[in-house]
Order: sequence, then C-alpha cells, then structure tokens
Amino acid sequence: MFIINCPYCGEREQSEFKAGGEAHIIRPKQPTELSDDQWAEYLFMRKNIKGIQFERWVHTHGCRKWFNVVRDTSNDDIKAIYKMGEKPPII
Amino acid sequence: MVKNLRVKTSKFIDETYKISFKFNGTTYYGYKGDTLASALLANDIHLVGRSFKYHRPRGIMTAGSEEPNAIVQLHNNTSRTEPNVRATEVEIYEGLEASSQNCWPSVNFDIGGINNFLSPVLPAGFYYKTFMWPASFWEKYEYFIRKSAGLGKSPTKPDPDIYEHKYIHCDVLVVGAGISGIMAAKTAAKNGFKTLLVDEKSYLGGSTIYQNSELFKINNQVSSSWLEKEINEIKKFANLEIRTRTSVAAFHGYNFLLARENLTDHLPLDQRNNKTRQRLLKIRAKKVITATGSLERPLIFDNNDRPGILLSSAIEKYANFFGVACGQKNILFTNNDSAYETAISLFQKGIHIEAIIDNREDIDSKLIKETEKNNIKIYKGYTIINTTGYKRINKIIIMQLSKDGQKVVGSKKSITCDCLGVAGGWTPAVHLFTQSGGKLKFRDEDQVFIPNKYPSDQISIGSCNGDFTLNEILSSIPEILKDFLNIKKTDYDNLEVQSSFNKSKRNIWLLPSDKIIGKTKPFVDYQNDATAKDIKLALREGFRSIEHVKRYTTTGMGTDQGKLGNMHALGIISETAGSKMGELGTTTFRPPYTPLTFGTIVGRNVGEYFDIFRRTPIHDWHIKNNAEFENVGQWKRAWYYPKNGENMHEAVQRESKAARDSAGILDASTLGKIDIQGTDASEFLNRVYTNAWSKLSIGKCRYGLMLNEDGMVYDDGVTTRLDENHYIMTTTTGGAATVLGKLEDYLQTEWPELDVYLTSVTDHYATISVCGPNSKKIVSTVIPDLDFSDESFPHMSFKNAKIDKIKCRVMRISFTGEHSYEINVQANYGKSVWEKCIEVGKEFNITPYGTETMHLLRAEKGFIIVGQDTDATMTPIDLQMDWIVSKKKYDFIGKRSLYRSDTIKEDRKQLVGLLTENPDEVLEEGAQIVADVKKTPVEMLGHVTSSYYSPNLKKSIALGVIRGGKNMLGQKLIIPMENKQINVTVADPVFLDKENKRLNA
Amino acid sequence: MLNYTNVITEEKSFSGLQMKEIRPVMKLIIRGKKREFLSAVGKSLNLLLPNEANTSSRSENLTAIWLSPDEWMIYSNVTIDSKNNDYETENLLNKSISKKNLGAVTDVTDQFVMINMKGDKIFDLFETGSPFNFNDFRNKKGSVTQTILAKIDVIIHNQNQNEVNLFVRRSFSQHLFSWMNDSASRL
Repeated sequence: MFIINCPYCGEREQSEFKAGGEAHIIRPKQPTELSDDQWAEYLFMRKNIKGIQFERWVHTHGCRKWFNVVRDTSNDDIKAIYKMGEKPPII
Repeated sequence: MVKNLRVKTSKFIDETYKISFKFNGTTYYGYKGDTLASALLANDIHLVGRSFKYHRPRGIMTAGSEEPNAIVQLHNNTSRTEPNVRATEVEIYEGLEASSQNCWPSVNFDIGGINNFLSPVLPAGFYYKTFMWPASFWEKYEYFIRKSAGLGKSPTKPDPDIYEHKYIHCDVLVVGAGISGIMAAKTAAKNGFKTLLVDEKSYLGGSTIYQNSELFKINNQVSSSWLEKEINEIKKFANLEIRTRTSVAAFHGYNFLLARENLTDHLPLDQRNNKTRQRLLKIRAKKVITATGSLERPLIFDNNDRPGILLSSAIEKYANFFGVACGQKNILFTNNDSAYETAISLFQKGIHIEAIIDNREDIDSKLIKETEKNNIKIYKGYTIINTTGYKRINKIIIMQLSKDGQKVVGSKKSITCDCLGVAGGWTPAVHLFTQSGGKLKFRDEDQVFIPNKYPSDQISIGSCNGDFTLNEILSSIPEILKDFLNIKKTDYDNLEVQSSFNKSKRNIWLLPSDKIIGKTKPFVDYQNDATAKDIKLALREGFRSIEHVKRYTTTGMGTDQGKLGNMHALGIISETAGSKMGELGTTTFRPPYTPLTFGTIVGRNVGEYFDIFRRTPIHDWHIKNNAEFENVGQWKRAWYYPKNGENMHEAVQRESKAARDSAGILDASTLGKIDIQGTDASEFLNRVYTNAWSKLSIGKCRYGLMLNEDGMVYDDGVTTRLDENHYIMTTTTGGAATVLGKLEDYLQTEWPELDVYLTSVTDHYATISVCGPNSKKIVSTVIPDLDFSDESFPHMSFKNAKIDKIKCRVMRISFTGEHSYEINVQANYGKSVWEKCIEVGKEFNITPYGTETMHLLRAEKGFIIVGQDTDATMTPIDLQMDWIVSKKKYDFIGKRSLYRSDTIKEDRKQLVGLLTENPDEVLEEGAQIVADVKKTPVEMLGHVTSSYYSPNLKKSIALGVIRGGKNMLGQKLIIPMENKQINVTVADPVFLDKENKRLNA
Repeated sequence: MLNYTNVITEEKSFSGLQMKEIRPVMKLIIRGKKREFLSAVGKSLNLLLPNEANTSSRSENLTAIWLSPDEWMIYSNVTIDSKNNDYETENLLNKSISKKNLGAVTDVTDQFVMINMKGDKIFDLFETGSPFNFNDFRNKKGSVTQTILAKIDVIIHNQNQNEVNLFVRRSFSQHLFSWMNDSASRL
C-alpha cells in the first residue's frame, strides 16, 4: 500500500483514497454530434500502461477532492501529483 | 533413560525456575529461558518429527526460525492447538504440550516410513506423473494423497485468543537486534529519529550476545560484554521503542512493513486470558535499516538429514546460550572457519569434540591454531560421504577430496559420533530486502547474494549485507549509517576490533560421493524431502527456470520456505546446467518470512466487528417489536415483524394487506439523502438525471433516473425542490455513497464552472413513511398545524412543518402506490415521531412493515428496484420507462449511449410483468424463462427478477427481463424448474391500480 | 413533546481514557469558494474560518474546522437546547450566505455524533484502527483530520492536550463506540 500526498490534506495511506482511472479523458462537449465509434472511444478506450500512467484519484475518506497522479504502474512509484485543471507535468 | 545434558550455567537460563512440559505424552523438565528445542536436547532428545514425503526420522537442526525439521503441534485437540510450530522458537512454559507431526502411530514407529524404502519409485513429480491419467480419477486419488500428505492438524474449535492490529509510524525502523541492529538503533535514536527496533527473539543482541571468546574483542572487551553495555544504553532513549518477539513478516513498497508481535505465547495458558495474544504491527517507516543477519548453510552429502545432525552454529548456541550439549561425541564438518568458533566454545564448556572434518586442505588461521592447541583432530581436505544411524546419527564415513573437489579419493574411514555439526558458510538473510523489491547481486568469491539496488529509503547492514566477520561489520556500519542518516559521526567511528576469523572457504554445493547420484540421498530441502537427485532429474526433464524447478521438485515450498537449502538448489542447478549463479537469479521470497496465524492477520475483525453495522434512529424500536433484520449494504433494516409465531410469508402477507387496506408505516431512514445548493442546482440536476428539472416549482417533488455514461440505469429516487437554489435528493440505500461520489466527480472534474454544493445528510434525518388510505388521518394528527388538503398538499409535493418546536420536512410521495407521506425529522427525534405515528395510528391498525413488504407493494405497482430488477445492462428504454427520458434536453449523463447501435437493438432484454397460469404458483427469483423446451440447446430468453404472492390481488405476480419482451405482451412462455415446467404469460408490469387512483384515495 | 433520543447512552472510563457523547451540539457544514464567502462568514459569526488544511479556529461560542478547501464544519462549543432545532447561527448564515448565493449552509447536527475523549491513551486507541500518522497531530492543539478508524470515516479534532472530539456519522456511531470500548479495554 502506497502513500499518496493529497494536494489538500498531505500524506495519507492509500486506503483513504480511491482510484478513478486514466486522467485527461475529457467528456465531449457535444456528445450528440459524435458517431458511435467516436463516442465509444471516449466511453471505453483506456491505455492501461505498464509504466508511467496519468491517473485520477480521489481522497474519499478525507477531503473528497479529485486530483491527478502520475504513477509508474510497474512499481507504484508516484512521480507527480497535481490538482484538477492544472497542466500535466512532463515526465 | 533420561539424560541431562545441561553442561554449564548460562546467564540466559534461570536454573532456579524449573518448568515441566510434555512432549509426545511424556513429561520432561527444562528451565525458564529454554526453547522447546533446547529443553528437548538437554533431555537428549533429537528425534522430533518425520519428513513430509519419505517419513524419515528428523531431528532439531537449527536454533532459530529457519528450522525445517523440528516442527511440532502444540496442545493437540484443544481450541488453542497450533500446527507447524518450530520447536526452536517455542519458549517453554508450565503446561506446554507438544507433539510430533506427520507420523502415525508414533514418531518412533511410523508406518509412513515405508515410503523411505519406496523412494526409488517416488521421484520428483511422481504425483503429477502418476495421477494425471485418467483425468476423471483425480478426485479419487486426491482423497488418498491428501490423507497421507499434510503436516499438522488445523484446529476445529473457535480460537479463544484475542488478536489486535496496531499502526506504527516511525522515522527509522531497525529490523533485527543483533550487533548491527543495536548499533544502528542507538545511532538513529541518539540523532533524534523516532526509532523502532524489532527482533523475533525474546532477547536482544543476536549471536554476539553469547560470544564469550577472548578471540573476538571490541575496544579490548569480549564482544558480548561490549554489546551488553550498548544494549543497556539504548534502553534509556525515550525516542527508541524496542519490541522483542516481533518477527517482520512482510516488507512492502513505500517502506510499509507488517510484523507479528508475540505477547502471550511464552506464558502458561492460565495467564493468557483476556490478554492480546498477538499483534499485527503495520509499520510505516520513513527509513528502514535491515539487520536481519545471516543463516548458516548446511552441507549436502549422502544421508545428511539424520537426527543428531545440526548446523554448527546451532550447536554453539545451544552450548553458549542454553548451556546444553547436543551430544557427547561431537564431530564438526566445515568448509570455512565458522566450525572452529563452535569447537572452541564447546571445548571451553568441556564438551567433547571427536574430530573436525574440513574440506579445505591448506588452511591456517588463529582459530584453527587455537583448536589444534586443544588436541582436537582435524581431517583437512576430507569430506563426509555417508552417515549411519536410523533415529540418531551414530557414525560418519569420510574420504579425501580430489584436488578439484569433484570426486573422492583414497580409502574410507568411519568415525563414531552422536552429533554432527555442519558448517557450509553463511547466507545473508535478504528475504525482506527482496520482498521490498530490492535487486540482488551475486558475489562470486564467497558465492552469496547480497543487496544491490534499493527500491526505497532503506539500507541493509551487517551480515545480511554480506559482511560476515566482526571486523567487516564494525568497520562498515559507521560509514553506512552516516551516509544513510545524513549525520556527521557515530559512537563507533574509532572502534578497536580484534577478530580471528579467516574468510577462506571451499564452496562445493553438492559434495562428491563414492556412489553414483541415483544411489544417494543428499537432502537439499529437508522438510519437503527434495534431494540433489530430484533437482538433477528436473533439469534432465527439461526444466530450466529456477521457478519451475522449485515447483516441480517442491524445493523451498515447505513452511520454512527453504531458508536452508535454497542456495544449494541454485548451486546444483547452476553447476548441472552450466549457467552462472548470478544470471540464474533466485526464486521469489514471498511474505510472510515466518508463518503467521490467521488470527493475527484478521485481528479484531471477527464476530461483532467482522463488518460494519449501521443502525437507523428507530433501530431500538424495531428490536423491541421483534423485527427480523435484513442486511442492506452495511445497514440493518427491519425485514418483517412476525407476530404470534408467524413465518415470514405470513407476516409479509399481513403487513402488505394492512398497508393497502388501512395504514402501514416503514422506516425509510436508510435512503441516501444529498443536500444540493447553489445557483446552478437546477442545471446540475438536468445534467445528471434523464428528465427535465428546470421547471419543477418550489415545493414539488419529482422522481428521477440516473444513468452511467454507458446509458445503463445507475440509481433512482425522488428529489424535492426546497427553494429556488436548494434541492434535497434521495438515492437508493445501497447507492448513497457512490452516487454522492459520482456527482462530486462530475462537479469537480467535468463541470467545475457550476455553482453547486453537495452535502450528505443521510444520517441527519430519520425518514418515516406512512402509507395507506388512512395515512392522511394519522399524519395530520401527528402534525396538526399543517394543511393536508389535496389542493394545498397534493401528491408529489412537500411542506416544511413543525412537530412541537422541532422543524421537519413532509413529502407526499409514494413507493407503494398508496396515498402516502414521508416525514423527515432530525434523527434524534425520529424514534419519538415514529412512536407518535404508531400511537395515533392504533385506531387504524397502523402496521409497521419491513423491506420485504415494501418490495411486494412496489412490485404490485410495477416499480423497479435498481439492483434487483436491473443490473448494469438495463437502459430506461429496456425498463419500458421511455417516459422519463427527456427528448428535449441536449445532454445528460448517458444520453448519447441510449442510441448506440447496441442499445437500440429490438431484442435487448426488457422488463415485463409475468403472471402464472396457476395463480397460487410463486416463481423463483432468478429462474430462467424460455419459449421452447424441446429445442436444443434450450434458448434462454431471460429471467425472473422479482416474484411475490400478492395478498391484495390474490395471485402470484412477478417481474422479469425477457429478450424483446416489450412486444410479447400476452405471449405464453415456460419456466422450466428442476421437476416441473411452469406456464406463464407476459403481462403489463403494473398489476394494481393502473390509473393511480389510490394515490389520492 | 417529542423525546430526544440519546445515541450513545454510556460514558466509558478506562485507565488513561474517558469517552462520552456530548449532546446536543449544533453542527453545520458550510461550503463556498468565493472570497466574499469567507468574509461574510467571518463577519456574521465573528469567526475566521481556518484557511490552512487540517486546522481549526474558535470563537467564544463556535469552533470551525477545516474539512476541504471549500468545506468547513462549525459546531457549538456548548450544548444547545434539545427542545428546539431552530439555530441562530444557521439563520445568520442563511441570511449572509445562502440568500446571497455565496455558498451552502447545511444543518448536520444529527448527521454526526460527537464523542469527547480524554486521557493519555487516546492515540494508543487510534493506533489500533487508523492508518493516520498521529505523531505530529497529537502535539498540535487545534489540528484536525478526516481519516478512517475501524473502517469507519471519522473527523478528529485535537481540542487540547489529551482531549479530542471525534465526529462520526450517526448510523455508524454505536458500532464504532462499541469497537472503541473493546479496544480500550486492552490498552
């Protein structure tokens, strides 16, 4: 179990958080304009990388805020954490 | 004849404190400070168990947690019984009862021993190969194999002991309190780090603490005296916590370690009551210093497993620490200087040493000179080729080694003995390091794996880092610590060390014999009876990966995880396959390092605390009124209230009828309640529900369906507009937390521009639902100051009200189809309001009903329950709820998915009503629905989701999902059951009051 | 008259630890992001909301604890009248916050049960069931954390040396209190 440095509350154990999948998948502004394939791309397609992955996490049992985590999925090493709306760091 | 092999007083043993214990039914005596192993050895007992496969007699081999052979069952046939306990770790106490395992009828005469003579036909993989065919017979074979295999017996009674968990956060964790660990802990504590020092043993100081030889000195003091002073000093630090009898089981990423702290296992049984037996420590350390020491290696030769054969270092410990001689005629067999330390210790204690067999030829060191001075015969350049003695070693046979060490030369010589110590060099205990993700490197000169790359802020020091001699340890530690803790100096910067250890070693993984390999039994894994022959066989059969060889031969798979023999297995593979050790790698060391009891892992999460138990504000009333409870999520909900010995069916029929005929009352407090405020609240609801919300006037309620982005129904409930920018949303009981989480997610990540705030108020309110034709009379009496006329307070509307001076909210909403009110009052007044309703309702036979009746009543009306009539594959269209999906709204969560090619298919499963041909026949929920039972394979059209006998309609009703069901109204279908077929007709899912007249009755 | 129900009826005392529910204590959740929100709360209650994470502030009658960058809990320092649930503080905030669309004010008086704990074994108890690191927290008066205790969400407010207020959702409170007593009995 890793430690996540919540950008609002500070370092907490992983059990206080929930993972929310790949980050930076933006909900299309005009879903009705999309073809089935384009909508499916948004809905279902995820990268699931072994290595550096950009993910969303929420501090469920703390401040309930969502934020982004850059994590190496092969060893759980967290490279960066940044708030929603902030630019992803270059890693 | 009981012998006493206690040789000399040891300060670690309290000879004034005699303890009696039983081993295999016989009473023996030992002293306080003894382990079961040392006490048995003092009574001249070596034979403790039988091996796993061949049932060979086995004795105590080590003096620590690495013990493969001497594993026993404690307190057999009692609730406290524990299998596979290492006799070398059990501290004896008054009343201890231990018995041998894996033998029948006794350890001295074991029928299974016949396997030993059958061993030529029981090679590695025997079970796999023999019982593979025919496959269908495996179940029969397995029964017998399971019976003859297995070590201890698991307890059959509940565990009477208490276990706990404890989180510890420290700056520095030091694992192992040998000389290295003590030095590290003192240095860390002295520099202000909050430090935790743990050791699996009951005492501090590791093996140095009983090192009394003048040949090893620190600052001119015998090493044990020097260390004792250090130990006394560290006990004074307030920021240093010391936990003994604490074994680190697992070292995970981010310096998260699990350790088992043993609190009562050394106490007599009658002193353990109401105490915590073991504690699982969940340690979060900023920095970890691993000082887990090293394990002595055995040597691999024919019949190297007989009782009476021990590690040389164990013999030394039994003599020095416990004051016990393991034998009266001792022989040591070594490939390095370690055995000479043992020899000198034994000699000092007056224990006879017959000879030392050293496989090295040209050797010269202070230790050896000292040994020779004492007239101990040393056979240099020799190896043991065989031993004899069935239940105790009585003879060794030696021959000279060839120059290259590949074969034996010259003539055989036999020497009698009753104890043999083997010293094959040292293996750093890198188990925890590798568990943490650390990478090892192989050091060729002494053939050991040592830590190379650290995955977290940690360091290995002392002999687990490959520094085996006192000089090396004491000179390397100060530098390592300064660097690791970022400090300038340590107390140990200028230590004067005197050590007589010479590092020369002649490493031969499998010692040669005069016989061919097939004719010998050189054991590599003692517990699992894997020999060098088995490993070679595996290689011949094509296994190459060390992980595969391990599984095929079971090497390293016992309760000891092959702590002694794994290196030899690797060595033999490497030599046979011609690959390099460093490239071969090791098998994965998995947690736990030593076995953990289930109790420790579970901790207090048992019984009442197994799962969380949420109560409504009216819970006590339900209990008082004999409610049966149902688990809904973590809630305990009143299920039904049996009266006068009613069964569930009878109670539910009565409750359902009363609710429609006069009045029913339901505790709906578990429904999720979310307070929604903000100027964009209406827009937000528009986006999360399928229907439109902007035009809902203040004071009105509306039912909403919430979808996932994939278009599938996720949750439902009624939302009320309390004010211009203020709503209260209700969710399903089970969905409360996830709905709030999902809504927060959208607000924070997709629509941060919306001015909306969500606050859970689920627990703030008690929700009391009163339904039935007489509900208005009851509720208007409870709340006299409110206008209950249909004009002022119509269906789907809400009023603020007061009961006495207590503010509450009343909604006129219905989940039963009856005229119905829902009172939401602050939780601490909930029980009182409920009781008032019951009291007022008495004259109308107000009937409390539980969740089962609620389910029945709503099914009569064809109302869905999300999660029962839906799974994650039902769209609102599938539910025939097209009316709730707004066509006008540009977007809402899940909208686009409602016209994906898959969701618009005609033959999706759709919700329908089902009526049985025989109105008394109640369907089983989950039963399959088919059209044609003769067609093979039978085509499944769908299944029953809800089914009840309706007392109000006097017939059986059901809801189900059927492929293309929407267009099948009136069609006859079949529900095949185990011994009958039930004929059903597809019907409208609304069975009762289709015109909704009752809502205003 | 409606009866007020006590959730946790017992007061428990162990060596180094006393635990009891304090009731009724008014509790409000207030939420807002705008700068005017903070100043409006400050003005109407004469209480500065804590800006810093994991901290609290206190006036004569009220305590405000930080829950999230846009969320605070305000609770009354003394118990209130159990016969009335019309709170002056709530009305003040409704006027200055809700009516002016600056944020949200929600009554959570019965959403949470407040358990007052006293003694030098408070943190020993927490360590048997919470992954939170209390090392710094325990020495910092006024510190606040939201974490997990015995698998249940809790808010802990370090009120004083060896005194904390623990907030837990009402439906979990009896279960948690029972667990705390069980654990405390062996400290």
